[in-house]
Amino acid sequence: WAKPVVIKFSHVVAENTPKGQMANKFKDLVAERLGGKVVVEVYPNSQLFGDNKVLEAMLLGDVQMAAPSLSKFERYTKKVALYDLPFLFEDMAAVDKFQSSKEGQDMLAAMKKKGLVGLGYLHNGLKQLSSSKPLKVPADVAGLKFRIMSSDVLAAQFKAVKATPLKKPFSEVFTLLQTRAIDGQENTWSNIYSKKFFEVQPYITESNHGLLDYMVVTSAEFWMDLSDELRVEVKKALDEAILFGNKVAADKAKTDKQKIIDSKRSQILELTPEERAQWVEVMKPVWKKFEHEIGKELIDAAYNANN
Amino acid sequence: MFLRVLSQVEEALISLLLIATTLLVFLDVVMRFGFNTGFMWTQELTLHMSAWFVLFGTSYGIKVGSHIGVDAFVKLFPRGMRRLITCVACILSLCYCGLILYGSWIYLAKMKKIGIELEDLPIPTWLAHGMLLVGFSFISIRILLLLWQVVIDEADGFRHVDEAKESMEIVEELKEEEVTP
Amino acid sequence: MTTAALFILLFGCMLIGMPIALALGLSSITTILFFSSDSLASIALKLFEALSEHYTLLAIPFFILSSAFLSTGGVAKRIIRFALSLVGHIRGGLAMASVMACMIFAAVSGSSPATVAAIGSIVIVGMVRAGYPESFAAGVITNAGTLGILIPPSIVMLVYAAATEVSAARMFMAGFIPGLMMGGILMLAIYIAARIKKLPAMPWMGFGEVLAAGSSAFGGLMLIIIVLGSIYGGVASPTEAAAVSAVYAFLVSIFGYRDVGPLKEVAWRNQGEGVASAVLRNCARSIQAIPRCLNDPDVRKIILDASKVSIMLLFIIANAMLFAHVLTTERIPHHLAELIIGWGLSPWMFLIVVNLLLLMAGNFMEPSAILLIMAPILFPIAVKLGIDPIHLGIIMVVNMEIGMLTPPVGLNLFVTAGITGNSIGWVIRACLPWLMLLLIFLIIITYIPQVSLFLPEFLDKLHGYQ
Ligand code: NA
Ligand code: NA
Repeated sequence: WAKPVVIKFSHVVAENTPKGQMANKFKDLVAERLGGKVVVEVYPNSQLFGDNKVLEAMLLGDVQMAAPSLSKFERYTKKVALYDLPFLFEDMAAVDKFQSSKEGQDMLAAMKKKGLVGLGYLHNGLKQLSSSKPLKVPADVAGLKFRIMSSDVLAAQFKAVKATPLKKPFSEVFTLLQTRAIDGQENTWSNIYSKKFFEVQPYITESNHGLLDYMVVTSAEFWMDLSDELRVEVKKALDEAILFGNKVAADKAKTDKQKIIDSKRSQILELTPEERAQWVEVMKPVWKKFEHEIGKELIDAAYNANN
Repeated sequence: MFLRVLSQVEEALISLLLIATTLLVFLDVVMRFGFNTGFMWTQELTLHMSAWFVLFGTSYGIKVGSHIGVDAFVKLFPRGMRRLITCVACILSLCYCGLILYGSWIYLAKMKKIGIELEDLPIPTWLAHGMLLVGFSFISIRILLLLWQVVIDEADGFRHVDEAKESMEIVEELKEEEVTP
Repeated sequence: MTTAALFILLFGCMLIGMPIALALGLSSITTILFFSSDSLASIALKLFEALSEHYTLLAIPFFILSSAFLSTGGVAKRIIRFALSLVGHIRGGLAMASVMACMIFAAVSGSSPATVAAIGSIVIVGMVRAGYPESFAAGVITNAGTLGILIPPSIVMLVYAAATEVSAARMFMAGFIPGLMMGGILMLAIYIAARIKKLPAMPWMGFGEVLAAGSSAFGGLMLIIIVLGSIYGGVASPTEAAAVSAVYAFLVSIFGYRDVGPLKEVAWRNQGEGVASAVLRNCARSIQAIPRCLNDPDVRKIILDASKVSIMLLFIIANAMLFAHVLTTERIPHHLAELIIGWGLSPWMFLIVVNLLLLMAGNFMEPSAILLIMAPILFPIAVKLGIDPIHLGIIMVVNMEIGMLTPPVGLNLFVTAGITGNSIGWVIRACLPWLMLLLIFLIIITYIPQVSLFLPEFLDKLHGYQ
């Protein structure tokens, strides 16, 4: 009677978020199919480790799975900077198409040398710009201070429109927005809703300018130590859980957007094709800057997924 | 003489880390309001400096007895017994430092092998977190010194912060001037 | 089993006199070694994470630094003079003024012992000289000093915010009314006691004195506006406000009040000096003084003292986080939550359990460590029972206030014992009647959530949310 394999799944959000629901679904599926052989323990709300340290803990063998946002992997491979490029994907269908392509799947294995194996992509959604001022054209952003996650691409993206990118802890963003210490931020509909940013940001521009996605990741050592049979089964359960999580995320993006509209707290601005073209024009040069780090073929492949 | 210089360097480094951290956060605010700009790297740097400040400063705290603890129980015993208990406490503390040092070594070695840098600063992780080794080595040395003092009967416990005594200093200072009421 | 081992180890280590931080660390690491498959490497990683990933906690050394400048810089004396000019003429006025001074000092300082030390070291002697019984004076101040962590800014609230990810700014708002209320209760009790005991009053010194004292204390009072204004007004995060307040406190005590530092004894205007030459001389001296601060013994001592206290606290906090991490990896909060929810407690019964647990823990531990250990256990249950996280936070803070007054680890007791030169036992007896008030106050806070929640919700309404 062997002891069951324990998978500690550590994440930083609440259990009712798409990521939290995906993790719990994975736990349930594994319990149902591999009960006794594999046990998944989910630790939500940064209980175990924060996003900055969870990958290090994984390399030390004390966490087996996590799903940080893609920009958290930039320390391990510059290639993931691809996903931060502005206006690369037109919609989530293009994202799905690229991620399931050979190039997209190869990227999951890009960190193998550093000891990490990607198991799949989990969506949050496309990012919108929220601000204390109405933003229609790039010139509207000039001189404003925007909160971003730590990423060279995102910093370059805001510098391209002459805004000031600032790094602020997620927990303080609400207060800083409320008090106008910073002018705006970029996020998905579901984050803007759940973190109540819409209550303190009078304008949201539906820009769909970038992607916020997560990578479900494990350590190469743990993954290779699993028996072939278990690895296949676990991967299957995970794939199903991710599909489920992505559906939750897609639904949530829709309903949360509607809730924000209904609240009337925030005015939602849509861009005309001409206005959107202006944004693309000023932000797209950012691609060039990171071309040598990401690889031109990869950028092309991702861009071609739009057709 | 050498020891005095060493101790002054230690105090200066601790103070400088605190000053630098404070000023860096202050600068961040000034830049944001005065110049409508800011830096991406200040947050990571201040957080690391505060970590270095604590790890480097803890051993100094043991030397000057500024860590709080409970000595009510130990004080119930005669001095000989008290020294024995303190020896045990020192040895246990050394175990703690040893285990952390061992864990840090493995952790830092792993980070060095993988070769990742911090998020915003181009500093290797193992180097930025190397203060774990420095800090806990210094703490171990201080505890060893304390253990020695206890063995040769020059001390009988961790000198826990004597807030009482520190407050008395304020009172002494104030005695010179007449109090308002 | 694991839980028992963890706590027995912790108390064992503390009893034999190990510093609390080391006791927390050793008990966590030993438990990991014996009961868990986690590696020592990830423990080291967790310790570093605890020290380097909490921006909110960065405010702690800054607030300590700023109150270090203020308590040695003569600001405390000016605050006391101001409070006296306001309420000194009422019966028992000196004691009431002392409480008021504690409240004002609490609004610039984040810690309770610092408040007792700064105000108590001046007023206890003063009260005794004015004919108050020493135990009365000591009891009042030791209790009023606990307001240091209830009236914002507060180190304990920062720790709670870091442990539970609620907004530190909201916690600060929530502590404001309870703080004023507790101060009010203390002052009322003093007034009644003063009537019964026929305690002395001081002559009314007139509005002139109120104005004079107020403007003399203005430099210190400004700090309240800077800290609270920048947080509520939304200029800065608590951490940034703390850094600004530290820099301000340095400037006002060295260059404004000149009680310490290189400009000590330099007059703003010498006798017979013209205005222009005085301005010039002051500018020149101030510029000259900036580099001299680096080597000034007063300044260096203040910074080093603040460093010592900060390091002590932050090292405890880091090790307490390690302890909480062990609890989490062993799923102890998870199991306890299931157990307690299984009892089917209603919220009010749960809050009794919370208070009893915290009061017990408050006897033995440093407040930040208690919060870090207890918050992960109590928080999820409270959320499930529909208790507001901010309300729970204030309940915990008030419990920690009481913990400051109970042996064997009661920081305020130590400080008062030091100031008065009496034994801890004597101080405990002196505090006892006032401690009862604090317990009644705890019941009020526990069962009337609106006391804590009114201000944050009112400010929300003011901004037009919900
Ligand atoms: Na306070
Ligand atoms: Na206590």
